[in-house]
Amino acid sequence: MKRLLCFSIACMLALGASGAGAQAGAVARADMVVIPAGEYVPLLRGKDDLARVPVTAFRLDVRPVTNAEFLAFVRENPKWRRSRVSPLFADEGYLGDWAGDLELGAAAPAEAPVVRVSWFAARAYAAWVGKRLPTTAEWERAIAAGYTTADGASEPAYRADLLEWFARPSPSPLPAAGSGRANFFGVRDLSGLVWEWVADFNTALVTGESRADTGLDRNLFCGAGAIGAGDLTNYPAFMRAGFRSSLRASYVVPNLGFRCAQSLPNSP
Amino acid sequence: MKTKTLLCVAALLAATLRAEEKKSCCDACCAAEKSSAVAVPVSDRSLYQLDAAWTDDAGQRVALASLRGQPVVLAMFFASCEYACPILVHDMQRLRDALPAEARAKTRFVLVSFDTVRDTPAALHAYRERSQLDASWTLLHGDADAVQELAMLLGVKYKQDARGQFSHSNLITVLNAGGEIAHQRNGLQGEIAEAARAVVALAK
Repeated sequence: MKRLLCFSIACMLALGASGAGAQAGAVARADMVVIPAGEYVPLLRGKDDLARVPVTAFRLDVRPVTNAEFLAFVRENPKWRRSRVSPLFADEGYLGDWAGDLELGAAAPAEAPVVRVSWFAARAYAAWVGKRLPTTAEWERAIAAGYTTADGASEPAYRADLLEWFARPSPSPLPAAGSGRANFFGVRDLSGLVWEWVADFNTALVTGESRADTGLDRNLFCGAGAIGAGDLTNYPAFMRAGFRSSLRASYVVPNLGFRCAQSLPNSP
Repeated sequence: MKTKTLLCVAALLAATLRAEEKKSCCDACCAAEKSSAVAVPVSDRSLYQLDAAWTDDAGQRVALASLRGQPVVLAMFFASCEYACPILVHDMQRLRDALPAEARAKTRFVLVSFDTVRDTPAALHAYRERSQLDASWTLLHGDADAVQELAMLLGVKYKQDARGQFSHSNLITVLNAGGEIAHQRNGLQGEIAEAARAVVALAK
């Protein structure tokens, strides 16, 4: 009986797996690496936020999602095609570098990161491949590692590279995703290629308004008590926090893409 | 081998049946919605495209689309909030009081909670009693995905701190009968008169 049960479970599993296989198509998916459990030190926090936020171990794509991968997604999910997407879920200009609904063209090389995708579209893609978007804490945990150690802040060369990106305009078309130098965890292109969506970008509570971006808008936000910044010298982290706070979920931006994450089976 | 195959087929059937059950639950929800709502088309800018399931404070499963056919005044909040939410809800009450009787009778007031853990339907019901909210108010509990999706569509930012309190945008949104955003009041300072005018225009 036990064996029979096992068999039937295996049978169902196989069916499930073949379903996923059919979805995957011929496009190679990004490898994932495990980012071990650690801490995220938020740059900006309210008086009741933790100074160090524990991050459980998770899996992260080693590179951003490419145009070719996203094309496979819109092929199978017509409602996410450029001509059909709801204006609620993506602003005008969605997949604007592509030559057509199902055609990439010269401005969107297959291996380059997909950009001009909304948060809704990125989230739908992640769910389609059985993954999810990383949280701010997870994403920041990954970029906090340097090239050779888990502590990027102690590596001058790494810090210099993070800064250097802000001084360099984005090339067009964008280079291939995954061509950057791997960090300590084996993750590439967290900096230097495109900005990336995170699941909870809307927790960045500073206002996007340039005249008021030094803190919280006290009328707009509840619980807007004191706010304290962590490492004041971490300019790239300020840039990311500011960028995230300026976004809305339907926005499509020329150099904003995303990568996927996955919880480990034993994590909550 | 034959028995094994049979078992396997049975297992699959069971899985299919479960899916059917799930489907019929949702049909029931939409049937109720059809009966109550006026036939207003749902455009591609309508929040009523969302298929997330919510639970009201009576424990009934509802889709946002069940609000279709009338102007809706909606805010996201949490019941244990000691800072801005009481002001936010009070503002909605003031807005309601500012409406002419006819417009008021046609309008629904909706509070959606950020707090997916503590604001159970029962907790929301207690909040309704405590705040003396009559039958024109709908209080909704949803899962984390549904709350996040709605917040993203409304442009509401929110964040839970280590004490379990939420920092959040104070945003009152007016939806038209088709579920499109017709007006938003941002922050606690803006006049409610403008929001009231938007509701009156929609209730005509």
